[in-house]
Amino acid sequence: MNQRKTWPFIGVLFFIGFSVAFLYERAAASQQEEPLISVLNPLGKLPSITLVPLAPRPDRLDGRTVYFVDSGFPTTDKFMRELAASFAKSMPNVKTEFRAKIGSFFDDDPKLWTEIKEKKALVVLGVGH
Amino acid sequence: MFEDNAKAAAFKRGMPLQRITFIPHPIAFKPVSLLSEYAKGKDPVTGKPLVQEIVEALTRPLSDEEKKTGVLERSRPRFVGPDTEENLQRLFHKNGWTDDLPIVLPTEKRVAEMLKGTSQPPDKIVGKMTPGSAHEAWEYTVEKVAINAVMAGAKPEYLPVILAIASTKTTSLFASTTSFARMVVVNGPIREEIGMNSGIGAMGPFNQANAAIGRAWTLLSKNLSGAGIIGDTYLGSQGNNLSYNNVCIAENEAKSPWKPFHVEKGFKPEESAVSLFHGWGITHGVGVRANKGYRNQIRELLKVFNVYSSPTSNAGALVLMDPLVAKELKEAEGFDTKEKLSQWLYENTLVTYDGFWDDELVVSFTLPLAKKGVEPFASRLKLPKDAMMPRYPSPKGINLIVVGGEANAFFQAGDFRYIGSASVDAWR
Repeated sequence: MNQRKTWPFIGVLFFIGFSVAFLYERAAASQQEEPLISVLNPLGKLPSITLVPLAPRPDRLDGRTVYFVDSGFPTTDKFMRELAASFAKSMPNVKTEFRAKIGSFFDDDPKLWTEIKEKKALVVLGVGH
Repeated sequence: MFEDNAKAAAFKRGMPLQRITFIPHPIAFKPVSLLSEYAKGKDPVTGKPLVQEIVEALTRPLSDEEKKTGVLERSRPRFVGPDTEENLQRLFHKNGWTDDLPIVLPTEKRVAEMLKGTSQPPDKIVGKMTPGSAHEAWEYTVEKVAINAVMAGAKPEYLPVILAIASTKTTSLFASTTSFARMVVVNGPIREEIGMNSGIGAMGPFNQANAAIGRAWTLLSKNLSGAGIIGDTYLGSQGNNLSYNNVCIAENEAKSPWKPFHVEKGFKPEESAVSLFHGWGITHGVGVRANKGYRNQIRELLKVFNVYSSPTSNAGALVLMDPLVAKELKEAEGFDTKEKLSQWLYENTLVTYDGFWDDELVVSFTLPLAKKGVEPFASRLKLPKDAMMPRYPSPKGINLIVVGGEANAFFQAGDFRYIGSASVDAWR
């Protein structure tokens, strides 16, 4: 009587076991068989970059002029004035100039750059924000 | 936050080792006492005192890397993969090439099918686009636009519209910290040909052409100009939800009592065109000053928009009105042209002198124009302090679009300025 009850149960267990193994193998096989595809690159063409060497540095700043230039974001002029003042206090042997670049931060100021180059001065440019 | 942005900008301009020092931000309208503290304080990135760092940057001998010259070429492979679709979706997402939603993978076959939507050769250069004036511009072809159109879920017949948008070289993801949005309006026969919705629900998610064309603009902005890289090419502090679809709509020309928008801009009615706008937001006019006429209701909305003009864009507003509103304005209020309504709104949305010149963006952008003698700002700066002055530089800055399905007489308006229009027919 007990054997009669046990055999069908074992049979069901075997069936489940085989089914799971079969499904697992099938899933693994299907994963292996999933086709590999290539797609087109969506990105635009990058421009080349022309490397610009940094300007040569002096050994020391004594006797030189350093421009603190504001580029025209809101309140940045006030910050650059404070920075120039703080720098001047720390570096009394350096001549410190504050300048606001003309226009908004969209505008170039070639006259100012020429002036700085002609004086062989150094520049700290404040950008943003 | 600006560390990545500043270093990336220096790299793209050929100075990858540019000596940069940072301060806490933002500093706009902060008191001088705080700015003084910042000036005497430390660089938040390196922890070094600011002045010491500046002295070192100005005097430290250059390294060999910093002296380097030459040209750096950067190329990209034509194909991505091979890999499974799932992995490629993951890769596109990880690389920031999507709008963070699943995309249609641009297989060669799908792109070839998309290219049937135009007679233009795949290798034709469409333009160069940049995320903003401080960034580099990337070049792209018809095929590159088609790839992004596939990704957005577009049909081939939408491609001329998407190419027209791409031909404007205008990103929908402008780099600014202010979280700009951009918008596209389609006019002409192409609207009907590709089944765009200009009626009920036109501004909602109810039409594949409206949805896919708007989405394509976002994807091509990211992938064809490098826009939308958080911290580098995108700094919008809050971002803008309109950027998912860029308010891509068609004007309801059939129900409008006025000339179509593109005709106002010099196109013929039988031509098709896209028109682009930029601004920040759109607000609804429901319930504003009931029973006072639509002109007055619209005026109330237009009185709250930002007033600044920049060297590249004048202040403006855009009114999006249901045909019922447009017909009422024409028939009951006497505005038989859009121009007359724009003129009335221009004259009746005045702002005080201080209300104009105290605005943060006006101080940054418009005041320098006034000081340089650019009109009408130079003359407006000379007005007495108690003067009332026009909010917008000219009536042309107030644009009107008819859109909607006459379910009810409502309108919306935004601080969107007109950028320009481009032919769709040139890309058929």
